[in-house]
Amino acid sequence: MSRWKRLLVLLAVVGPGIITANVDNDAGGIATYSIAGAHFGYSMLWSLIPITIALIVVQEMSARMGAVTGKGLAELIRENYGVKITFWLMLFLFLTNLGNTAAEFAGWAASNELFGVNKYISVPIGAVIVWLLVVKGTYRVVEKVFLVICLVYFVYIPAAYLAKPDWASVALQTFKPSFQFSNVYIVTLIGVVGTTIAPWMQFYLQSSVVEKGIGREDYWASRIDVIVGCFLTDIVAFFIIVACGATLFKAGIKIDSAKDAAIALAPMAGKYASVLFAIGLANASIFSASILPLATAYYICEGMGWEAGVNKNFKDAPQFMWLYTILIAIGSLIVMFPNAPLIPIMWISQVINGVMLPFVLIFMLLLINKEELMGEYTNSKTFDRIAWSTTIIMIVLTLMFVVTMFV
Amino acid sequence: MPFFGEVFSSEIIKKPVLDPKGEDLGRVKDFVIVKGDPLPRVSALIIERKKKFFFLPWSDLNIFNKKIISANVYSENLRTYEFSEDDLVLVRDVLDKQIVDANGAKVVRVNDIKLEGYNNDAILIAVDVGMRGILRRLGIERGSEEFLGFFNASLPFNLISWNYIKPLKTKLHAITLTVPRQMLSELHPADLADIISQVSREEGTHLFGDLDIETAAEALSELKPDMQADILSAMDTEKAADIIEEMPPDEAADVLSDLPREKAKEILEHVEKEEAEDIQELLGHEEDTAGGLMTNDYISYPPGMTVKEATERFRTDAREVETVYYIYVLDKEEKLRGVISLRELLFAEPDCPLADIMETNLKTASPGEDEMEVAAIISKYNLLALPVVDQDGYMHGIIAVDDIVDILLPPSAKKARRKV
Repeated sequence: MSRWKRLLVLLAVVGPGIITANVDNDAGGIATYSIAGAHFGYSMLWSLIPITIALIVVQEMSARMGAVTGKGLAELIRENYGVKITFWLMLFLFLTNLGNTAAEFAGWAASNELFGVNKYISVPIGAVIVWLLVVKGTYRVVEKVFLVICLVYFVYIPAAYLAKPDWASVALQTFKPSFQFSNVYIVTLIGVVGTTIAPWMQFYLQSSVVEKGIGREDYWASRIDVIVGCFLTDIVAFFIIVACGATLFKAGIKIDSAKDAAIALAPMAGKYASVLFAIGLANASIFSASILPLATAYYICEGMGWEAGVNKNFKDAPQFMWLYTILIAIGSLIVMFPNAPLIPIMWISQVINGVMLPFVLIFMLLLINKEELMGEYTNSKTFDRIAWSTTIIMIVLTLMFVVTMFV
Repeated sequence: MPFFGEVFSSEIIKKPVLDPKGEDLGRVKDFVIVKGDPLPRVSALIIERKKKFFFLPWSDLNIFNKKIISANVYSENLRTYEFSEDDLVLVRDVLDKQIVDANGAKVVRVNDIKLEGYNNDAILIAVDVGMRGILRRLGIERGSEEFLGFFNASLPFNLISWNYIKPLKTKLHAITLTVPRQMLSELHPADLADIISQVSREEGTHLFGDLDIETAAEALSELKPDMQADILSAMDTEKAADIIEEMPPDEAADVLSDLPREKAKEILEHVEKEEAEDIQELLGHEEDTAGGLMTNDYISYPPGMTVKEATERFRTDAREVETVYYIYVLDKEEKLRGVISLRELLFAEPDCPLADIMETNLKTASPGEDEMEVAAIISKYNLLALPVVDQDGYMHGIIAVDDIVDILLPPSAKKARRKV
């Protein structure tokens, strides 16, 4: 293939990997990174390197399965392990993503409050925009909008710059692993890892690779897409931690959310850094709020064998449309409910998330090594070892994460 | 006669199989299926005991129903079994897989399979593609029914007779010979294209290969460009050429322009000469210009021809041509002189020469004109087709309104299946 042609293929294929990785930096993710930076300065930066590798390993397998089998992950699990397992998996994924969707709307509400917009105005508007996107949108347009939104994540780079960090110290801490034997440190570290690899992402990524019609011959381009996406995610995470580490950590300010971070930044890094943080949060929240419900409705229908698709209506694809609508409606209503138990809701959904992840990862590893499905594209021996170790580490960490939530 | 009545596969799977003394032989793992008349039948059960599989021929069964399954052989007489690709087995190959529901024109998933007793055999009578099937597999069909009963609602049965079903996988062919093959061809090509794009590529290509040329040609033009290219590339050149020949030249050119150059050339060489020349000519134009949109498939007569002659000629010519609503009047040099709508032709005096009734105030597009401008002209003057004429007045082709609609409504709005 000529160089030009390869470039064209690459441009055509790019999308799923970058979008998936960016949705990963959702409201919850940004909060976690902000807290990590504010409470522990740069001392957690080193963890981003192994996290990036783990993310790439997992996401690459999803993309590969999509390109080789032409089927989504839910579809493959259903076809190979039957309806019972699929049903329970889908039920739990529905519950956790319902919680996640609520968390996204909460992030959206919080960031709008920073700009003085009441949540009773911002949340309904956000929910309607998200809902219309599917009812009126087409995938090509939606994907382009999404890719542009991904660029907005870069607001964290100037924000970090405005915070005037000591770059030498940042560089040192990035490459020199350190550890603190305190409970809070371990919990936060696990939180950073846990927020990065979520079960629903694997379903979403694989389905969008399939949807885009990426086949074996274009798979190399998809792999680049995935790797670039994973790097972008963690670069954004990096700058969030740096921005908070350079300011809030130095001043010894403790925060509980991304909103706190944005407010606390203003006196130290200037108004602009604060505004950039708020924009970043608003962008991430609404972006994830539009993808999560859609992805969830989609792969549930895929697994259960119901009609799905954005161009369908309530008559053609009732389950799909209702799932999607319910996720958005309940997700946004919870946030608007006065004194809504938001923290317990997010807490429960994080726990289910953590419990689901081992299952999803193990299913992925079993499926990708099935020769009748993947042919010559099964994991190589070395890669398989890396993948299993990653999975086991992820499982241990996530279990620890879940345990810490109960302590 | 071991089997009466009807039973669902989910009610049998994992059930213990007993020997004549009531000892456990193992649990039902799968069913081996063979072709039968009128429908495929179960030829053996595969049972599992201590992680090993055994083959239990149907003839060795004594009782077979959802409560009891018993055989008249003992465990030492059982033959071990290895799953092989050659056998068609129900759970591995059919359950949970996608099938084309030829009646509803959509792709569904098999939630359960219904067996029925017929002449001592268990035949596959239907597949369950509804909610009931899922609930039954989860073991809560009864419960859900009672629960819904409180609200005076009921669970619909959603069974599709095996007659209407065509599995998508190659290896199932042996048993689907009883299914009328035309079934698929009877679907509207747009529905077919929808189905093809809903299944995996491999299955789509396979399904496509089964269609007759005419249906294939129509369905192909409804598919997304990359899908078209995939399918044609996977096909042997002869068949691809036949399909291309069947398509209107403009659509054929569109499809070929998306193929790798080598492959397109190879296919074109197998296409009938006249047709190939038309396509070649169209291939020379940029895709988003009038030239790229147009087809050279239109009806044209000389100005001197009478209405009567024209009407007679029209009857035969119109059969071969896609857009028949306008008759283009061309002089000897192939320059466009006028246009007559079909309506005008029908109402005109039979002896009148075409030159007298034709419209000479012509709306035309030049071959290099942008597609959006073409759309604007067609929309402004409410045309069904627009002739493409170069600056010297030579007629190159026409652009039909349906080709423009495809541009105004982006293809993804029409065809894309899933939008995650």
